Amino acid sequence: MAPQSNRVVELRIPSELGYEKIAREAVATVAHRLNFTKEKVEDIKTAISEACTNAIRYGSGSDARMKVVVILTADEDKLDILIKDPGASGAPPIDIDIPDIDGMVEGKRRLGGMGLYIIRELVDEAGFVEAADDDEGNQFRMVIYRVEDTKTESSPEASASGADNGGSP
Amino acid sequence: MSEEIQVSVRGEGDVTVIDLIGDVTTFAEEAINQAYQSASADGAKNIVFNFRENDYINSAGIAILIGVVTEARKRDQKLLMTGLSAHFQKIFRMVGLTQYADLHPTVNDALASVNGEATAN
Repeated sequence: MAPQSNRVVELRIPSELGYEKIAREAVATVAHRLNFTKEKVEDIKTAISEACTNAIRYGSGSDARMKVVVILTADEDKLDILIKDPGASGAPPIDIDIPDIDGMVEGKRRLGGMGLYIIRELVDEAGFVEAADDDEGNQFRMVIYRVEDTKTESSPEASASGADNGGSP
Repeated sequence: MSEEIQVSVRGEGDVTVIDLIGDVTTFAEEAINQAYQSASADGAKNIVFNFRENDYINSAGIAILIGVVTEARKRDQKLLMTGLSAHFQKIFRMVGLTQYADLHPTVNDALASVNGEATAN
């Protein structure tokens, strides 16, 4: 059943690893209602899990007293996801690097730092956005269009343009 | 909000299978590493990580597996992975993990692959 107009779901989850699964389940329900394909729903679930995990670990230092806010806005054309954290680690990273798995395996690079890259590959648009004046902290936005005419799964040009504000913690 | 994962180790001829049931996230690190170390201590040369198709794997879980790859290369062990959904097969390819571990649909497929190579050798 597709929505007739904007539908907004807002979640406030404790900043504690594991609670990202609540956002994951919620977005799956919304994405199913928008008739995304099964594979696209999986992409969205993974993307929101990674974004919430970053918000918990880096944006609020895994301090469960803090909250991560997830706002899902569904309309006719797209699913828009905004994730807000308190910005405990300061400004978000700027660059998103392709994971250097060879460097990790050889012990030259630390393990991890793959979350933002995975997100960028899975959604149509992703990146940190500027918060409103009265809103402190980081805001990370992802957009997934219902008709994939803006990006193909393997288009490096499209994926590179979708996250020009992002970075890899 | 810790998440439980069940990890068990079993032998299948010349192959050691590590079965993973549950979420593969940062909470799984100790269990996965213990299972891998246990298999290595028993002299495992071919190790299959057998996932349950619908479980949740995140980038922290993938990082744990990359750590295992690092150790396995030092020990000249062959790693194989089975049971992954099409989605997570895609993610594993995306981050480059499939350069270091072969993916197979099932444990039997992985065993056939290992045994086929052994026969060929």
